[in-house]
Amino acid sequence: MKQIVDRLRQEAARLLAAGDVAMVIGYAKGTDVARTTPYFATNEEEAQNLTWNPFCTNNLVKYLLDFRFEDTKLAVVVKGCDSKGINRLIYDRQFPRERVVVLGVPCGGLLDRSKVLATIDPGAELQSVEDLGQEFVVRTDHGEFTFAKEQYLLPKCAVCRNPNPVISDVLLGEELPVAEEEKSDTFDDIVEMEALDPAAKSAFWDRHFNRCLRCYACRNVCPACNCRECAFEQAVPGWQQEACWLSKKASVDNNYTFHLIRMFDVTGRCIDCGECERVCPVNIPLRKLYRKVIKDVQELFGDTTPGLNIGDGLPLTSYRKEDPEEFM
Amino acid sequence: MTVKLINKDRFNVFLERLASGNELVAPIEEDGNIFYRRVTSVNEITLEADAFCFAPKGHFFPQYEVLYKYQQGSNALVLEEPGPAGPSVLLGVKPCDARALLSLDPVFDGNYKDAYYLDKRVKTTIIGLSCRKVRYNCFCRAFGFGPTSGEGADLFLTEVKDGYLAEALTSKGEALLKDYSDLFTETGVDGALQEKEQLAVQLDTQFKRKVDLDGVKARLDNMFEHPYWERLARKCLTCGICTFVCPTCHCFDIIDENGGGSNCGSRLRCWDACMFTDFTLHTSGHNPRPGKKERVRNRFMHKLKYHLDRYRVTGCVGCGRCIEKCPVNMDIIQVIAEIKEVG
Repeated sequence: MKQIVDRLRQEAARLLAAGDVAMVIGYAKGTDVARTTPYFATNEEEAQNLTWNPFCTNNLVKYLLDFRFEDTKLAVVVKGCDSKGINRLIYDRQFPRERVVVLGVPCGGLLDRSKVLATIDPGAELQSVEDLGQEFVVRTDHGEFTFAKEQYLLPKCAVCRNPNPVISDVLLGEELPVAEEEKSDTFDDIVEMEALDPAAKSAFWDRHFNRCLRCYACRNVCPACNCRECAFEQAVPGWQQEACWLSKKASVDNNYTFHLIRMFDVTGRCIDCGECERVCPVNIPLRKLYRKVIKDVQELFGDTTPGLNIGDGLPLTSYRKEDPEEFM
Repeated sequence: MTVKLINKDRFNVFLERLASGNELVAPIEEDGNIFYRRVTSVNEITLEADAFCFAPKGHFFPQYEVLYKYQQGSNALVLEEPGPAGPSVLLGVKPCDARALLSLDPVFDGNYKDAYYLDKRVKTTIIGLSCRKVRYNCFCRAFGFGPTSGEGADLFLTEVKDGYLAEALTSKGEALLKDYSDLFTETGVDGALQEKEQLAVQLDTQFKRKVDLDGVKARLDNMFEHPYWERLARKCLTCGICTFVCPTCHCFDIIDENGGGSNCGSRLRCWDACMFTDFTLHTSGHNPRPGKKERVRNRFMHKLKYHLDRYRVTGCVGCGRCIEKCPVNMDIIQVIAEIKEVG
């Protein structure tokens, strides 16, 4: 991993020094051993703070939107899962391809922070991480720890189909091999959900949505949620709340409306980066919602995975004369 | 101040009886989250003070509550206010959360008396509980109290080997010990108090992160236009997590919901967050806090300066929840250190 970090700092410094980009969006050391933080390097010196390790969980692509109305060129560090977000923004015409330099990192998986913190003191200083294929060796000032991937990866990484970025200008490491059988999604989690009877499904989502805080972290982190103005943030006075899709009252019915509207909104567009579920402060299993519609779209319109490439029209956002219209 | 002891078996009886005579609110686990919720069976209660637990502020200031219902009568509008709260007991409140209520009180009990908050506040007895472990991001010590401080609680418990030490800190706490005097004993109190002392010493060694607030307020007084805020705010997603998990954040919005028939509805207040775009949006379309910089600055200024300016108590109690839950590792401990560097 040290080679990737060196290469990243070198490349970032080069881009910034040459004036090719105004900023490199990457990761820096976080405030505990199993955490990194989004970092915005604007000069060569700051480029040396950039890092890469299996705690780089954030999808940084969303930050491009903060600069969408400017004309500066930016570089952003992406993993395979995040890289689909770049295609998302380009396809959605939210960020032009020519204004972004994609620094791709082949990713051997991310470690589950909570599991790691059960083993390593959060205050330990991270020295280095080595990816040995089946396991990570994490060296800290509190000693050396080995984490078997089978046990310690984030759930989304355990079934990852895109360890290599699907789009990148500079690849910061050797491409990782992907076995043929790992390339297609079997949706085991969704099949399991689908088998439940309606009452059980309803009880499941009632319980989860009931505790939604409506903090909107799932929306704010999502690269598919890129509207300039959100349906849930309509500037209307309190007495006209009913003119909105839903009121601020975080009751279970309103929360259902919020999550289901968001689900339909990202249908055919969700890249399954899993950030929504990671950021949820009350552990709502949000990927179950979005993966259900990914599965449905695949079944209805053929094998299509949003974000894998820019060029192809997506089933729900493109028009073809030969599209069936039996429902009309 | 009355100090007594209760053994573990009797403690369960105490909980049973509290639950039957009052609305008992205590930490309850659901899908890996711990919330303060109304107890239906005492077996649900989880007093594991070392796990992440959402703050109990919602007991006094719920995420949403009806202020009044309205109905168009034949001649006039008929308003119906919600009935008064019943007596309740809030159990297992951590020292930081009890202290946080003392930061909330002047907001709702200042020049304007907030009837909704105060009604519940007056009718609630708070049973605090010493922490058993200091979490990595805890920094209550920086605010002059610690994991065994009972300030803000009516009755304060500390788990000891023979049960719980119970210290009555207010008249409500005294009343509770009196009402349940058959369950509490004075035998062994001295030993238990010693145990608490030892626990305090032991917990004090568990604080990992150094936080020194000295000079922070003075620097913030002159930092409104500092370029630091712009840099700091870049990573913020402007979601509402930090404000919603914060035990002292108290901003709300008021909305009307028509419904339930013609010409009727209800007026509600709901938690709001200064991180949201529309929080300060004016009718004219002007937004005095148009971007991340202004919103992030406002949050830290509020926690570490404005609340102090207004009420002489801090708006932060060092619970560490925002640090733990922030999806981008915005870390108030780091911010405090950086303010001292750049300010």
